[in-house]
Parts: sequence; structure tokens; C-alpha cells
Amino acid sequence: MPSPASSSDTSSALYAERPEWKDVTPLPQYEDANPIAPIFYSEEYKDATDYFRGIVKTGEKSERVLELTESIIRLNPAHYSAWQYRYETLLAIKAPLDVELKLMDELAVSFLKTYQVWHHRRLLLMLTGNPGPELKFITESLKVDAKNYHTWSYRQWLLAFFNDDDLWAGELDFVDAMLVQDVRNNSAWHHRFFVVFQSGVREGETERGRIVRRELTYVKQNISLVPNNPSAWNYLRGILDFNNLPYSRVEDFVRPYAGTTTDGSTTDLVDLENPPPSTNAQLPCSAAIEFLADIHEKEGGKDRVLQAIALWRSLADEHDTIRKKYWEYRIREALKSVKE
Amino acid sequence: MAASSPSRRAPRPTPTDGFSTPSSITQAETEAILLQHIPSDADPKPILTKQAHMQFLVRNLVQGFPARYMSQDASQPWLLFWTIQSFSALQVGLDPGNKQRMIDKIMSAQHPDGGFGGGPGQAAHLLPTYASVCALAIVGRPGPGGGWDQIDRKKMYRFFMSLKQPDGSFLVAHHAEVDVRGIYCLLVTATLLDLLTPELVAGTASFIASCQTYEGGFASASQPYYAAIPAQSPAGEDFHAKSARLLETPRPPLGEAHGGYTFCALAAWVLLLPFREAEAGGRLPQIDVGKLLRWLVMMQGSEIELGGFKGRTNKLVDGCYSWWCGGAFAFLEALGVNGAAEGAPAGLPSGEEDEQREQWDEVDDTLFNRTALQEYILYAGQHPAGGLRDKPPKNADSYHTLYCLSGLSAAQHRVSPSEARRMQIHEAWVNRRSSVPGAVLSESKLPDQTRRKVFEEALAWAEDEGGSLVLGGADNRVNATHPLFNLTITHAEGLMAYFYGQSLPPRTRLGKSTGKA
Ligand SMILES: [Zn+2]
Repeated sequence: MPSPASSSDTSSALYAERPEWKDVTPLPQYEDANPIAPIFYSEEYKDATDYFRGIVKTGEKSERVLELTESIIRLNPAHYSAWQYRYETLLAIKAPLDVELKLMDELAVSFLKTYQVWHHRRLLLMLTGNPGPELKFITESLKVDAKNYHTWSYRQWLLAFFNDDDLWAGELDFVDAMLVQDVRNNSAWHHRFFVVFQSGVREGETERGRIVRRELTYVKQNISLVPNNPSAWNYLRGILDFNNLPYSRVEDFVRPYAGTTTDGSTTDLVDLENPPPSTNAQLPCSAAIEFLADIHEKEGGKDRVLQAIALWRSLADEHDTIRKKYWEYRIREALKSVKE
Repeated sequence: MAASSPSRRAPRPTPTDGFSTPSSITQAETEAILLQHIPSDADPKPILTKQAHMQFLVRNLVQGFPARYMSQDASQPWLLFWTIQSFSALQVGLDPGNKQRMIDKIMSAQHPDGGFGGGPGQAAHLLPTYASVCALAIVGRPGPGGGWDQIDRKKMYRFFMSLKQPDGSFLVAHHAEVDVRGIYCLLVTATLLDLLTPELVAGTASFIASCQTYEGGFASASQPYYAAIPAQSPAGEDFHAKSARLLETPRPPLGEAHGGYTFCALAAWVLLLPFREAEAGGRLPQIDVGKLLRWLVMMQGSEIELGGFKGRTNKLVDGCYSWWCGGAFAFLEALGVNGAAEGAPAGLPSGEEDEQREQWDEVDDTLFNRTALQEYILYAGQHPAGGLRDKPPKNADSYHTLYCLSGLSAAQHRVSPSEARRMQIHEAWVNRRSSVPGAVLSESKLPDQTRRKVFEEALAWAEDEGGSLVLGGADNRVNATHPLFNLTITHAEGLMAYFYGQSLPPRTRLGKSTGKA
């Protein structure tokens, strides 16, 4: 992504050629003229980092350090020392943080995949204490990369750190919009779990039953739409595990997905509790077979365990052969428990 | 015709249920590319082109790294570690002259206040500290100029403590982020160099446990909640030091379950096991091992993905997860998961019994598909011009070269904690500290009993010689690697014996040997 011409024009001259930097002694990286495994730096980068090492040595923290560190960051956003020194300089000279945040808006989009752009933003937010505009900014960034790990972690940190009802208010709608765009986006599913369950039940403990029902309905509808979606099945497991509910609670829902055909006779009955597989569903769905086996195993008793074993065997031999070893391990473990 | 159809049937594309989304589109594109790399039955056995990979590595080392590696300027010790540990995996050593040049370069990244940075003049950071110490385990030695005695362990310890957070986690560098990679790097370094203390690791296992997500894998970090955060005070970095109190819960994971973080969290968890009994306060942190195992096996791609590993649910396979996910299976055994089939279980209903018994005759007790993972690495992970990669048609790079080779090693060999080896080391222990100059840390309060435990647990990992499975024949063999450190066991032993002031009993072969080592 090209950076705006304005900012690069002024800094195009090498620091070594600029009179206002004359007083700084640039420090070459290696005393040894011929170190092993050198990196072939561009002239521009070598120049800026030589001056940076010179600055670090004297400990100078001034306006021009901001310019120097910005030059380095634009050439190599993973240069964590430049970020660290920049942050200390911002504090030392009490630089206006709104200006810094504006710069970060631009850099975050250019260097989405670097830890440091997101972390620097976090440091700034801890100083400004104003998370208001952030959620919108993050939503925009996710349009560029909908699964960016740092972007999602940053959003979750922001919510948890400021823990402000106004911030939380729109999260369910937001995550739903993300899942409508891509129901397979596991980052969005994780975010939903974070919002609904893991930061305390936001709507109060008495609401827990209603929330669990709402989430079960939500995930079942999404499984119905796209059954072969491990993210949604993991979310279903997550709801039940987190709330200590037995897997058998959704047995009626799961069964049709583990079979080979959709039973046409039930489709004109609208059962909101148990939405059937979509007409395009490719069945059986191995996640459903696994789930059903888990139900059987957890319910226990020799009959149930043997049913579980038959399902695992079908995964091992036919539906999920790459994980044969694992399914056989599950069979052995289940047999041990029957014996005991 | 059908009668002579190849045994390898065309693999099934990942089902999309007729509903296409951005994830399923990139998945289908990847499958189309990988499909071209699936061999037909007529193809000869896959070959690990060791010479091409060595040329790639040597070129970087001797001629230097091309300009695109400028983005790795803050990771120079990593470039060295990835390169030299790849040498080790390929059973190649370095000549003394170049070893010395490497030692000198690493030592120039040591920070005057302790720890190592990404290069000279860069700030200390936990990640290059790991890379530097591990590279020194391979190329360094005791004595003047050898690197080992020039590591400033006192300052390194103080650097570690300066990064510690109230929830047991660590910043990766001053003013930097918290994440489990840093904790892994810190714990490996501290374990290797005899720097562990109870105060250093207090609360860390709880932090690790809080990073496990509902999927079973681990996230980058968790966010602790605090009681009574001053409402409108600017919440600076030291805000919790003022009046806020750390809450036990909630500590939600930040980010979803991820292969790299899962490896680091799990290795950290295992490294902390010797401290488990010492952890005060009764309630020990727990992780859900069953869920973890399930998540790990689910990360292995299907036949159409050539059995490579992915790093997150519904993401694409990538060669580096061969190590981050494939390598993590070794830890499950340390946590009580036993993949070994101890003969067919009794009590099977008649009729099923014979059939089931047959299934259990195989000796291979690894819980992921070792053969398939080797296929991914050999067929898709190797760049034709040398070096290994994420996936075709990408370029090779140093990072993927090492982690594909390490993943290949994890698939070929079975390395697990050996009770016999642990006992040998236990018996040979003497209560003394290293003779390294300045080795006795004034801060060190670790009793010899715990040091002994750390030492013997770390070095009890041994290769089961009968447990290796090398696809494509013996020429494809790479060295076994220590699951916790990603060093050869010999290198890990050498460094630890020195820093703990111990001499190790020689390793005897465990299990029956198959072929030449
Ligand atoms: Zn990768």
C-alpha cells in the first residue's frame, strides 16, 4: 500500500545529508566489517538505523526522534526498538496524542500484520482513556483482513480493559454482521464467545438461561445453513461446556446431520429448536458424527458406548480417515471405561 | 480401468454445502493448487532434497540475506537460529571459523542491561533472547570468546523480572505486548541457563491456563479484570499498581485458539510442571487436555490438503504448523495422554473382536497422521530451488525451512519422556552449581531439589529408536529434536550440563534400534 506522497517527500534525503542532523554521530551496526549472514539493507534503511543507534546511545528524546523513528517504522514496521523508543519519546516530550493516533490510523492499515502497530495503539489508548472511536476503526480494518489476529485481540482487549457498557452495547450486532459476511470466520465465532460468555455474563446472572437458549438457537441456525463448518460446531460445544450442560441436550438436533439423507417428511414442520440441514447440505457431516458419538459416550452404559464406537469407526474408516489414529484412540479409551 | 484403478483415490474436496464464503473460496483455491502436488501411484518415492536445502541455507549464511529480509532486521538472532538449527536437523555441522563468526554476531546483540535484542543497539526482547541462547547451544562453548561464559545471567534474570506482570505473565520487552510466545522463550532460556526461581514463575501457570479457549487450543494472551479501576483516571501502564486488585476471574483469552500460541503455551506448561507442587494456595491451575488433543488433531488437514497442519479452525494449511501443531503432540504424553495401544482391549463383543484386534497390531501410537504430514512437507513444502515454505507457490524462507524440517522430524521420530533416562540423570546429580563465572545468582532461591527436578525432567526426553517412521526411505531421515527446545538432545544436554554444573551419564539406546542413526 503506497504511503501518502507528502510524508515521504520531506524525508527523502538521507539523514547523513541533512544539516539539522549534523550533531548526531551515526553508529554503524557492526564493528566487524564482515559479519556472518548480513542482510542487504537499502541505503535509506541503513542510514536511518545508523542515526537511530546514534540517538539511542546519547539518549536524546526530542521532536526529531519522532521523525526518525517514523522513517524506520515505515521501512520496517517490525523494528520494535524504534517503536519502544518512540513511545518513550512521546511521553518525554508530552507530544499531542491525537496527532499520533492519526498517524497510527494510517500505519495500521499499511502494516496490518505487525504486532507493533496494534500494541502502540493500545499504549496510546491507555494514555488517552478514550476508547470511543476505536470500535469503528477496528471494524474498518477488518474489512481489509477479516481474520487478522492482532485486530481481533485488540478489539477484545479494548472491550475488557475499558469494560464500558456503551462499548459492549453493539457487539452482538457487529459480530452477527461479520458472520453474515463469512459464517466460516472462526475469529468472529471466537469473538462471539468472548462477548457472550467470557467477560462475565453481561446481562446478569439471572439472564443466563435466556442467553444460553438464544445462543443455541443462533448456532443451530448457522449449522443448518452450512453444516460442514467446524467453527460453528466448536461454538456449540463451547456453549454446552461453558454452561455445564449435557451434550444430549441437542441430540435431536444433531441426529439428522449425522445421517446420510435429510428426511423430507419433517421439512414442512418448522421446528425452531431443531432446524434441519439445508437442501444443499453434504451429509453426513463428520462433525455431527463426532458430536453424536460424544453424546453416546457421555451418556454411558455399554449400549451407548458401542454406538459411539461404531460412529468413531465410521470416521476412522470412511468419513475422516486422516484422523484414523485419533478415532481409534477414542475407541480404546471408551472401551477402557466400559471395562472399569 | 476401474479394476486397476490406483490405490490413492482422488481426495474429496472440503464440503461447502453449496454455500460459498470468503473462507471456502480461498480454501478451494488452495486445494486446487495442492491437488497438483499429490503424487500419482506411478511417482517414485518422495525425496527430501537435502543438498538443495543446504545450498539455500549456506547461501544465506555466506553471501547474506536478500533485501526482502530487511523486515527481519529486528530478528537477526532468529535468522541465525533458523539457519543453524536447520543444519542440525540435516545432520550438518559448521566449521570452527564460521562458528566463531556466528558467536561474535550473537554476542553483539546482548543488551548492556541483560537479555538479547534483535541486533546490536536494539532493545532486549524475550524472543531474540531465546534465539540467541539456542543458537549458542549449537555453536558456542565455554571459555573466552565462546559465548557461554559471556552471557550475563544476572542481568538477564533482572531483565526477566522487570517484565513480570501481576497476572503471572510477562511483557516481551519493555512497553511491549504480553503473549505466550514470550513466556515460552523466557522459560526455555531460564531452564537452559539455570535461572528459574519460584518468584520468577509465580502465577505463570495460571496465566497459561487462562489462555486456553473453548476450542481447546491456546490464544496469544488473556486479559485480567481488576476490581476498582479508578473510573476516569488516565489508565496508564502502571494503573493496577495504584488501587486496582487483580481478579481471579474473568480472564478471557484475547484471540482465538492458534497453533503457534498453542505450542508455546503447552511447552511452557510442561516446563512449569516441576513447580506444580510448590505453587502455593491449594487450587492448582488446570488445563483441559482432552479438548486440547481434539483441537490439535482437528488442525491436521484432510487428504486433499496432503495432511498438512493449519493454525486455526477454517484457515489454510501452512508448513510451519508442521512443527507448531505436529511438534506439540509430544507434550501430550507428558500430560498423561497415552496413544499406545497396549494390545487389543479385552471385553469386546464377539465377532468384532478379531477385526478390532487387527487394527491394534500396528506399533505406531502417534495420535496424528505421521505419514500424511511427511507427505505434505515432502510434496508441497519443498521449494524446487531449495529451502522449504508455507505452501506452493510461495517462496522458501529461513523460518519455514526450519519449521518444516522440525515438523518433519516430529513426524519421523518419537521423542518422549523416558523414565529410565530420568532415573539415570537423577542418580548422577550432584548438589553443586556451575563453575561459570558469576554463576551463583544472589536472587536465586531455587532449592537444589527443585533444580534437580527441572534438570532431570528437561533432559529425560529421549528418542524411542523403534518408534521412527521415515517416509521415502532412510535418506530422508532428519535428526530428532527436543520437543521443548527445538534443539537436538545432544545440544540441549551440552548446554544444560554446563550451566547446572553436572556431568551426564552417556545415553544408552532405548527400544530396539532400526537402522543407522
Ligand atoms: Zn507459516
